[in-house]
Amino acid sequence: MSNSVGDETGAVRLANQGGASATLISFLKQGMDVGVFDAVLVPMRVPAGDAFAYVLIRDIALLDDACPLPPIVAVQGGKVVSRLTRLGNGDLKVVAVMRPCELRATIELAKLGQTNLSNITLVSMDCPGALALAKFIKDPEGGTEIFEKAAQDWRDEDLRPICQICHHATMISGDLHLGLLGGDENHLLLISNSEKGDEIVRRLGLTIGEKSSVRVTEVQRVTQKRLAKREEWRSEFESRVKGISNLINSLETCINCHNCMRVCPLCYCRLCYFDSENVRHPADDYIDQAMAKGSLRLPPGTLLFHLGRMTHMSLMCVSCGACEDACPASIPIAQIFSFVADKAQRTFDYVPGRCIDDALPLTVYRENELHEVDEDE
Amino acid sequence: MTKRIGVFICECGTNISDKIDINKVIEEVASLEDVVVAESAKLLCSPEGRISLEKRIKQEALTHLVVAACSPRDHQQTFMSVCKRAGMNPYLLQLVNIREQCAWITEDSARATEKAIRMIRTAISRVRYHVRLEKREIVVNSDVLVVGGGIAGIEISLMLACPDRTVYLVEKSTILGGMARRFERVFPGMDKYSEVLETKIGRVLEHQNIRVLTASDLEQIIGFYGNFEARVRCKIEGEVTRNLNVGAVVLTIGSQPSDPSGIEKYGYGEIDNVLTALEFEEMNRSGQIALCNGSLPTSVAIVHCVGREEKGYCSEVCCMYALKFARYLRERVPYAKVSLLYSEMCIPGKTYQRFCEETLGDNVKLVRSSNVRVWEKDEGKAVSYLDEGGAEQTLIVDMVILAPAIEPTSDARRIAEIAGIPLSIDGFFAEQHEKLGPVATSKEGVFIAGCAQGPKSISDTLVQADAAAGLILSSLVPGRRMEVEAETSQILESFCQGCRSCISVCSYGAITFDERMKVARVNEVICRGCGNCAASCPSGAASIRHSTCDQIYQEITEATR
Amino acid sequence: MVIGAGIAGIEASLLLSKAGRKVYLVEKCSFVGGTVVKFENVFPNMECATCMLAPRQQDLLQDRNIELLTLAQVAQVGTSPEGFTVQICKRARYVDILACIGCGTCYEPCPVSAPNEFEMGLSQSKAISIPCVGALPNVPVIDKERCVRFAGKDCRACKDACALDAINLDQKDEMLELRVGAIIVATGFDTWNVGQIPRYGYGRHSDIYDALEFERLFASNGPTEGRIVLRSGRTPRSAALVHCVGREEKGYCSAVCCLYLLKFSHYLKSKISDVKINEFYTDFCIPGKSHQRFFERMVKGDINLIRASRLEVDDCDNGLVVRYDTGGGKRNECVVDMVILAPPMQPRRDTPQLAKILGISLDDKGFFVKGVASSVSSSRSGIYVVGCAQGPKSIEESVAEAQAAVADILSSSRSGGL
Repeated sequence: MSNSVGDETGAVRLANQGGASATLISFLKQGMDVGVFDAVLVPMRVPAGDAFAYVLIRDIALLDDACPLPPIVAVQGGKVVSRLTRLGNGDLKVVAVMRPCELRATIELAKLGQTNLSNITLVSMDCPGALALAKFIKDPEGGTEIFEKAAQDWRDEDLRPICQICHHATMISGDLHLGLLGGDENHLLLISNSEKGDEIVRRLGLTIGEKSSVRVTEVQRVTQKRLAKREEWRSEFESRVKGISNLINSLETCINCHNCMRVCPLCYCRLCYFDSENVRHPADDYIDQAMAKGSLRLPPGTLLFHLGRMTHMSLMCVSCGACEDACPASIPIAQIFSFVADKAQRTFDYVPGRCIDDALPLTVYRENELHEVDEDE
Repeated sequence: MTKRIGVFICECGTNISDKIDINKVIEEVASLEDVVVAESAKLLCSPEGRISLEKRIKQEALTHLVVAACSPRDHQQTFMSVCKRAGMNPYLLQLVNIREQCAWITEDSARATEKAIRMIRTAISRVRYHVRLEKREIVVNSDVLVVGGGIAGIEISLMLACPDRTVYLVEKSTILGGMARRFERVFPGMDKYSEVLETKIGRVLEHQNIRVLTASDLEQIIGFYGNFEARVRCKIEGEVTRNLNVGAVVLTIGSQPSDPSGIEKYGYGEIDNVLTALEFEEMNRSGQIALCNGSLPTSVAIVHCVGREEKGYCSEVCCMYALKFARYLRERVPYAKVSLLYSEMCIPGKTYQRFCEETLGDNVKLVRSSNVRVWEKDEGKAVSYLDEGGAEQTLIVDMVILAPAIEPTSDARRIAEIAGIPLSIDGFFAEQHEKLGPVATSKEGVFIAGCAQGPKSISDTLVQADAAAGLILSSLVPGRRMEVEAETSQILESFCQGCRSCISVCSYGAITFDERMKVARVNEVICRGCGNCAASCPSGAASIRHSTCDQIYQEITEATR
Repeated sequence: MVIGAGIAGIEASLLLSKAGRKVYLVEKCSFVGGTVVKFENVFPNMECATCMLAPRQQDLLQDRNIELLTLAQVAQVGTSPEGFTVQICKRARYVDILACIGCGTCYEPCPVSAPNEFEMGLSQSKAISIPCVGALPNVPVIDKERCVRFAGKDCRACKDACALDAINLDQKDEMLELRVGAIIVATGFDTWNVGQIPRYGYGRHSDIYDALEFERLFASNGPTEGRIVLRSGRTPRSAALVHCVGREEKGYCSAVCCLYLLKFSHYLKSKISDVKINEFYTDFCIPGKSHQRFFERMVKGDINLIRASRLEVDDCDNGLVVRYDTGGGKRNECVVDMVILAPPMQPRRDTPQLAKILGISLDDKGFFVKGVASSVSSSRSGIYVVGCAQGPKSIEESVAEAQAAVADILSSSRSGGL
């Protein structure tokens, strides 16, 4: 499975039907027609018009209203696919269309037995970013406009902070990927990343042409820009969160709603440890603590919750930002987690969701590992 | 249930009472909630101490017990037995080490007393959350699986097999005997080995309690000492798989000579009449020592230490078998001149030096050499070397025999992984302890013997095979009961989300996945309570009995108050 | 019955006990641990010898199935239907093992001082003493040969000093008769007194040590608490390590000397960082998968390895002079402060006696013969020989033989059993 531009072998040149969405929809319709797909899982604008939701579509006609690249990330795509297939795959061949971060979450969940990919085709596209949920809700029409303009030129200053520092926006880890970068008014690139993808391309009578050098340059440009921004952000953000007191300060407004955990695709536990009885104690324990420390914030364990969640999932965090969108207390929680996840993942040289065959670090034992942390050499 | 906690503090003669103010401790502890008894004793582990403790438990109808004394390694079992005899479940006990972890390491008496009080308070907090656990007993399986049907495997099978104990001897090839089959004679006695070997193989094949499985491969081992399950696949016979229940596993897969064709300077594979030791053994066994063209060699060079530098160890047996070869030649080609090109003569022990002295003679010479090179000349094989003084010399011979380094077999790594044991840096099986545990491994119940552990002679191999038998015979006694760990993992199905993280970190194969219910299940007989699963489970579905979150939380909270 | 409580004897006893057998462990000396307990470290991982042995010794002393008989020797062996009847002569310790707490107060008042055998004569000890700090059992013994009371004088100094009244001067030697099913001989080895080879100068010059003496010199519980010093008290700046001493005379290779001399070079360098070491050898015998790596680690740096023959040691103005031949018959010499000789391992001095009592044969080197019945059998059925009593070998080989003997015993008497 490829994961970088250099690995892409070739691309199909799809006729540009008037933008990424339209081109993708046309492709999906073709697939349904030919019988390559039996159903499509893709975001749609809700009837009221001011939100988006994933819909499992069987009726081809409805595809016209699909919105493969909505201005916001509503429910995280990884969670949706997991809900659909956790108890086994169905008989229908489903194609799921989502952003790269959602797709990576899906693959990660498959490694954890929470998603069954045997009858699913995963399709992603280059993602320019998304708008903050709160911003969009305040003004859906305006929000849509901002997004469309930003998507056109890949100008991300108005988009979510987590998106502005995302260097995996063009990552290909599913079966097929629509390359917005490297395309033009006439063609958009469809890149196959697996045998499944190759087979679909073949059955639709499409041909895989040669690699696009324009795309290579474009992807590099975007990625470099993002990496530079990420570096900048990291050094500035570090001073805000490094150290216990700084971290506590950043989490000051937390109201313990646990929304971040609930929307996170990688928090798959049936009952979160931090919602369970294990963190509930008899009154005497709280009173004793208050007596010992002089006072006790209630409910206690805010810091423990976040640190605990970090311990449990930072190796799998795909920095999708669902948590930050969901936080009612405006905590930059996605950035905090992305900051920690970066380092944790780099320690194990692990990129979550890049490839289904990459083993989870926790399950791999290497005799010679992490000697950097040994005290005496 | 109302708790009635008893706290007993041992003075340990003077070991504890010297440093710790026992009365102060009793005062502090007696007033804690649920503590109904707090007293001291001179020496709790003594017979009188134990009887008295038992009496007090019954008298006061205690429900929980905290004993502050020495290391659990010394007396955990002792006090658990006292509980049992007093009718209290032994897991309702918490032992606090105020000797090694307090009195013996704290200079200041006041600080030691303070620490002891804190430690005992911590134990009391924890013991409140202890629950009754039952230890089960299973009868150990005294059968043994021996992997590798060479002389080590044969020896240990004969040593172990009896009406109460079946030995499964698994051999990957179709015949038994291993490497030793190929030797005509063995040093130092120069006995004809094939007869010895055939007799032993005969006894194995006829033995009622040895099941020989040839052409078979080991595929999997799960379980633990006294209770293993091994899967063996027969490569012929329709690929039949057998599941064998055994109590111990012995790995005697031997070793192999390395291939000298990778080392150019010896000309093996390029120049004719350059043989490896094994090729020469087989030639000798066939009865005829001859050159490629059929004529008899008039001069032979035996080159020691081939590949030693690359491997980084001495293969132990080559100097001796080189001398043996000289004797073979003396018998079959009496006038042939034999030169042994060696670097250091390795002939340890009381018999080998005489063997060497009696082998050397007019036609057999030792040539100390380094930088040996074999190349072709019109007159024959040229063997060039640097002599003791550093000068270059060349010998012309008809035949060159190379003594290559002995290396692990090609499936050593695979077998080690299946058995769950480590390899040492050179690829041989790693023994548990270089001095005191030469045939045991770090995994209890898995033993190694013979060249699989490192190159060695036949007599040393037989000693090791017997040694492994000794370890098994002394503990895997038929009918002996073994207590199965009570502090095992438990997985709460309602919390399990089926991510299988626990399965991937379980070293014992104790957890399986129920595909229908999509949850993980623990086999509590195989489980050893190591805790890996509990540590890796994000939802808290997996936990370890007697080390639950509550217990540890209470302990830490109290300890840090 | 296991004769000899060295490492092989201890291993065999513990294993037999685990199988549920009753074991009589007969030890001639007052302490357990044999020769290994005299070492500071063992090769190749340079593990602390006493730490390695201590858990085994503890298990031994607390084991309910093993009856340890120290200061005991086999006097006579006869046959019985189950195996053997053995007469044991148990010498009196004169100290009550149960009452004594090992405080050591009794040593000081003793008027007699003589060379300490355990310390290879490098220090003195009293007539009532423990061989060294940490010896187990931690109970002293009165040496009848030295104690003046047994020479007729009325001395009760030690008894008077003992607060627990643990000393019983009237204790008598005992004769015990035991019935056993099998006997394991694990009596270990002695080193040959290389003073018998004049050219090495041993015994004539004060800074020439043999291997066991040097072990004790380096031992942290030894006569100098581990300081390597010459007899004059000065720290040596240079040393010569000599292999194969007496090899020609004995006619066999003692198997472990090359390795322990490497260990000694480590000992020297660890205490005297700039010490100059000259190592004189004939063949470097380092079989086994880890020993060559050990060799490479040890000789890294400044050890001068010299293949030499016809070596002799003599006094000179600046210390000791070592004269030797190298290849080509060239004669060389070098001057060093200290010489350490690796003597041959030989059978214990009382081996011929023991062999006669047991009715087993010796080979022409004086070691117990290895029979043909099994890998560790002696020439007599039911009697096994393990460890260096059978021939020079390393610790792991001795341990394996002890375990093999246990296999033999348990295997042939598997019906019934305790």
